[in-house]
This record gives sequence, structure tokens and C-alpha cells, in this order.
Amino acid sequence: MANRTYEVMYIVNPDTEGEKIQKLNEAVGKLITKEGGEVVRMDDIGIRHLAYPIQKKQEGHYVLFEVEGSGQEIAELERRMRVNDMILRYITVRVDEDRKKADKIRAKREARSEKRARFRQTAEPAEAPAEA
Amino acid sequence: MAENDLEILNDRDLGVGEDVIGDRPRRYQRRRPRQVVPDYLDWKDVDLLRQFVPERGKIMPRRISGISAKDQRRLAKAIKRARSMAMLPFVAD
Repeated sequence: MANRTYEVMYIVNPDTEGEKIQKLNEAVGKLITKEGGEVVRMDDIGIRHLAYPIQKKQEGHYVLFEVEGSGQEIAELERRMRVNDMILRYITVRVDEDRKKADKIRAKREARSEKRARFRQTAEPAEAPAEA
Repeated sequence: MAENDLEILNDRDLGVGEDVIGDRPRRYQRRRPRQVVPDYLDWKDVDLLRQFVPERGKIMPRRISGISAKDQRRLAKAIKRARSMAMLPFVAD
């Protein structure tokens, strides 16, 4: 099974008590592990100003999860988030492919600049003695 | 390493062209990218994305920012994701 990495972010209604939000976050984590996923990172970002009102709210409580799994747990999680009226908004982004691509680009660039540095080293000493 | 990359950008010939918009050709000068787009573009990095979103809230055209077409596509996607999570405005006035 191909292992995939997802970022799941959701905005909770800021009027709900902190205790309830905590419970919700725990429930999300439990659901993910139950469905065969793994929570890599959990970040309760907290209250943030919204760029535009959602359900007449100007602020939202942001929570971010990083999940590793098959994608099955994401489907279930999204189904639950859709019906939960504490959650104003949610988004899931698959990040493993973009990260891999970024690593490839970085590796390529490093290899190129190393090559260039080696070329310079061989080219410069020829000029240096003339100055000295 | 970063210095080398900058050198290359400085050496690059800056193109000059004309866009025909309406009945008058509009001259423009292609600009060097003022900002390098990172390899991994994080849609949650609002401060970075803001640099490509002027006050009005519109995505900056490539003509102005001078970034590559590939980067522009990635950037647009990231901005749209941030917008849907109310981290960036759709419109701001």
C-alpha cells in the first residue's frame, strides 16, 4: 500500500469552549488511528482572524493535522467533518508528492552548484599566480 | 550556492516586448524575479504568499513578478488553497 501524507486543516467555531475543541481534536486523532492512519503532527494553531467572514464569524480556531496513511481514513474523516457543525471549514492537501518533487529539485541544484564550484577551483589558480 | 544563482539571474538578458491590449500596444519590460519561489511551496505560509497578492487581493501576474510559468501555477494553487481557508481574501477593498 502506497503510503501517502496529507495535511488536514479545519476551522472550528471560535465560540465553542476550549474543552470541546480539545475533545474534538482527540476524536479526530483516534479516528485516524482506528482507520489505519498515523498522526505525524498535530498542531492546535488557535484563534486567527479570518480574511472574510464565514457564517458571520470574523475569527476561527485553526487546527492542523499531518496524517500518514492510505487515504481511507481521510475519506472517513471528511465525511464526519462535513456533518459536524462545529467545523466551519476544512481542507485536505496531499503533500508527499510535492515534497518529493521539491527534494529532487534541491538535489539537482546542489549537484549543479557543486559542479560549478569545482570548475571554478580549477580555473582560478591559473590567474592567481600572475597577481602575486 | 544562493550567490551563484543570483549571478545567473543578473546575467540574464531582460526581454522587452509589447502586449496588444485594446487598440494600443502596451510596452513592458520583463523583470527579473524579485523573489525566488521555494522548491516546496507551503500553502499555509501566508506571509510568503502575501508578496504575490497585492492589496486588491488578486494574484500578481507573471508579467509583473517575473517568476517562471511553472512557479506561477504552483503559486496560484497555493494562494487558492489559502483563500478557501480564509487565510487570504478573495477580494479586499
